[in-house]
Amino acid sequence: MGEVLLKADNIDKHFGITHALDHVSLTFGKGEIHALIGENGSGKSTLTSCLTGIYQKDSGTFTLEGKEITAKNQVEANHQGVAIVVQEMGTLSGLTVAENIFLGNENDFISHGIKNTSAMNKKAQEYLDSYGFNYIDATRVIDDYNFEERKLIEIVKSTYFNPKVLVVDETTTALGQKGREELFKVMHKIRDEGNCVIFISHDLEEVIEQADNISVLRDGVMIGSISKAEATTDKLKQMMVGREIGENYYRTDYGEKISDEVVISVKNVTVKGQIENLSLELHKGEILGIGGLSECGMHEVGKAIFGASYFREGSVTLGDGTPINSIPDAIKHSMAYASKDRDNESLVINDTIGENICLPSLEDLKKNGILLGKNMKAFAEKYAAQMSTKMTGVDQFVSALSGGNKQKVVLARWIGKDSDLIILDSPTRGIDVKVKADIYAMMDNMRKSGKSIIMISEEIMELLGMADRILIMKDGKINGEFFRSESLKDTDLINNMI
Amino acid sequence: MDTTVKKDSAEKIPFLERPMVRTILPIAGFVVICVIFAILTDGKLFRPKNLTLLLSQSYMLLISSIGVFMIMTMGGLDFSQGSMLGVCSIVICYLSHYNIVLAIIGGVVTGGLIGLINGYFNVKRKITSFIVTICTMYLFRGVVAYATTSSPVYAVSDISKYNTLPFMLTFTVIIFAVTFFVFTFTGLGSRLKAIGAGETAARYAGIRVERTKMLIFMTAGCITGLAAFVNSVKVGSVTSTAGNQLETQIMIALVLGGMPVNGGAKVKFYNIILGVMTYKILSSGLVMLMISTQMQQLILGIIFLVEVALFSDRKTGMIVK
Repeated sequence: MGEVLLKADNIDKHFGITHALDHVSLTFGKGEIHALIGENGSGKSTLTSCLTGIYQKDSGTFTLEGKEITAKNQVEANHQGVAIVVQEMGTLSGLTVAENIFLGNENDFISHGIKNTSAMNKKAQEYLDSYGFNYIDATRVIDDYNFEERKLIEIVKSTYFNPKVLVVDETTTALGQKGREELFKVMHKIRDEGNCVIFISHDLEEVIEQADNISVLRDGVMIGSISKAEATTDKLKQMMVGREIGENYYRTDYGEKISDEVVISVKNVTVKGQIENLSLELHKGEILGIGGLSECGMHEVGKAIFGASYFREGSVTLGDGTPINSIPDAIKHSMAYASKDRDNESLVINDTIGENICLPSLEDLKKNGILLGKNMKAFAEKYAAQMSTKMTGVDQFVSALSGGNKQKVVLARWIGKDSDLIILDSPTRGIDVKVKADIYAMMDNMRKSGKSIIMISEEIMELLGMADRILIMKDGKINGEFFRSESLKDTDLINNMI
Repeated sequence: MDTTVKKDSAEKIPFLERPMVRTILPIAGFVVICVIFAILTDGKLFRPKNLTLLLSQSYMLLISSIGVFMIMTMGGLDFSQGSMLGVCSIVICYLSHYNIVLAIIGGVVTGGLIGLINGYFNVKRKITSFIVTICTMYLFRGVVAYATTSSPVYAVSDISKYNTLPFMLTFTVIIFAVTFFVFTFTGLGSRLKAIGAGETAARYAGIRVERTKMLIFMTAGCITGLAAFVNSVKVGSVTSTAGNQLETQIMIALVLGGMPVNGGAKVKFYNIILGVMTYKILSSGLVMLMISTQMQQLILGIIFLVEVALFSDRKTGMIVK
C-alpha cells in the first residue's frame, strides 16, 4: 500500500443494544480500490455510512489527508471530498436529471436569488458527456430512465466533483453487465487519479478481480485485511463466517430420524420478483432451516406460507390438504409466524404487551361469548412470564422493550395460541447471547413436543446448529438441500449461496 | 443493559405523554370548564332547567360520536357525518308518514349504505379516509340541498311525542350500552386499537383488517342513522343545513374528551361521553354569555388546536388512514 489517504480510527457505533461497529480501525491508501466484505449485519455499510454522514458515529475519528473530518450529511461529506453510491435508489423521482445531479448544490447556479436552470442543465450535460453517457438528456425527468440508467446518473452525481474517496455500496447487484463495466471504468479512473474507492460487494469473485486490498468485518469487528495477491474466495469466506464462540447453546443431538408425516406442503409457489416456482415439505417435529443471502427470497417464503404475500401463485396446504391462502386461515390452522421485521409486522409496537399477546387468541379467550379484561390480563401475564419477559407489567407498551424482549413477546403470543407449525424468520436477529440461548432451548423443546418449525436465517452457524434439514436459496430458488450432520460445514452452505 | 435502557426511557417520557397526565387532563379540563362557566354565568348554566335543555341538545352529538370514535380508533377520520345525518334525516322524515319503526330502519340502512361508500373508497380503492369523507361530505350535502330545494322535508307531526326526556335518554343509553358492550367485551376494541396502532402488525396477528374497516364504516353510518332519528324527533323537519358542521363538533368533542387524534391503543370509550359533555357545556356557556357566533367559532377553534397539539402522539406521527 502506498501513501495513506484516509484513516479510520477506533470507530464505534451502537444501534440500541446492537454493537454495530466495535472500535474499527482501518487505513485506505492513495490510488487503491479497497474492498470491504462481510456477512449481512457485519457493519460494512454502517462504517461507510458513518464516513459519509448518513449515520453519526458514537466515537472515533476519520482522518483524510491528515485532517479530521466529520460530516453531518451527505452534502457536507461531498464538500469534504467523500462521496457514496448506495445500493438502493439514490435519485429523487419527479426531478430532472440535472436537478438530481446537483441536488444540495443548487446554490452554485443561483445568482441574485434566481436559479439559472439552463446553466445547470448545460453543466450536467457536460458531465454526462464526459462519462460517455451522452444518450442521457440532462433536462429530462429522471423517471424517463430505467433503473440501470438512473444508477449511472447517480454515479455521475457522486463523482463529478472528483472526490478523494468514493464509496460504492453493493451497487453492482443493481446493475447489468454493461452498467457494471461503466461503474468499474469510473472506479479505475478515480484510482488512477491517486484517489481511493471503497468497494462493498457480496460477489467475492468480483471483489478479487477489482480490489487491490480486501478487508473483512464480522459482527462489527475488524477481522483483517489481505491483498489481492493473497486472496482466494475460500479464504475470504473463512474470514467472513469465522467460528462461533460458545457453540454449546445449539442442540447437540445428531442422527435423529425425521418423521415421514408431512405437515405443510408448498407446491410451485411463485411471488413475482422474490420466489420462483418453489416447492418444499415440512415434516412433523422437524426444524427446517432456510438460508441464503439476504436478497435470495427466503424471507418471502415465510410470508408466502403464512398467507401474507400479495399475489402468490401456487399452493400451500397442510398435511390433510387444507389450503392456506390468508393469514386468518393460517392462524386458524395452528400456524404462527414471527417476521424478520419485528417492529412493523410481528408486533403492534404502539400497543401494550398484553394486547399484543392476546390479539390472535381473542376468540379463544371468550367465555360464553364474552371477553373479559381480567381474562386477557391473566393470559398475557401467564405467557409473558413463561417466556421470562423483562417488563414492568403487561400494560407496558412494547415500544419500550429491547429487541430480545420484543421477540419474547412475539413468541409468548404464539405459545399462548398453542401453534403447532411455527415459522420463525431471523429469530435471533439483533438479540443478545443470553436471549438467543433461551430461544434455541425453546425451539428444541417445541421440536421434541412434536411441533414443526421453519427457521429462516441469515446466520449460517444457527442453521448448522439448530436445523434437522437445511435448504439454501439463491435468486428465489432452492439451491441445495443438506441434512443435519456433524460433518456439515459452513463452507458447504456458503458455496450454494454465492 | 436492559434495565438501564428501561430506566432511561422511563425518565425521558415528557410530562404530557405520561399515562396518568393523559387520563387526568381531560377530566381536569371538564371540571375547569364547568367551574369557569358556573362563575361567569352566576351559576345559571347549572340550574336544573338549563341542564335538562343541555341534555336534550346533546343526544344527537352523543350518538353520532360513537361511530366516529370507532373510525378514529382505527386511525381514520370521518368528515361526512353531518351530510350523512342530513340524508338519513330526510329518509326518516319521509318514511315517518308511514310507520315510525320503518323510518328508523330506513335511517339506519341509509347511513349504512353511505358508510359502505366511504368504506369502499377507503378500503378497496385505498384512498385515505380523510379525503374520501371530505368528498362524500360535499356529495351528500348536495343531495340534502337538492331534496330540500323547494321546501323542508317535514316529518309526521306526531313524531314530537317521542321528544320526552325519558324516551330520548333511554334511547341514547341503550345505544351506548350496546356499543360499549360490543367494543369492550367482544374483542372489537382490541382489534380496532391494534389497527390504529399498527395496521401491518394487526394483519399479521390475524385480524381481517379490510373487513373490519368496512364493517366499522358501515356501523358508523348505521349509528348516524339513529342519531338522525333523534334529530328528526327534536326538529321535526329537514332543511338544507341539517347536520351542518356536525363532523367538526364530533371531532372537537372527542379530542376534548382525551381521544388521541390518530387513534390507537390509548383510546378509551369514556372519551366520548366526557368529550361531548365538555363540548356542550363549553358551547352553551358561550351562548349564555351572549358571545357572538363568530367569536364562539374562534374560541372553539383555538381550543381544538390546543387540544390536538396536546393529545397527538408525536412518536407515532400523524398518519391518517
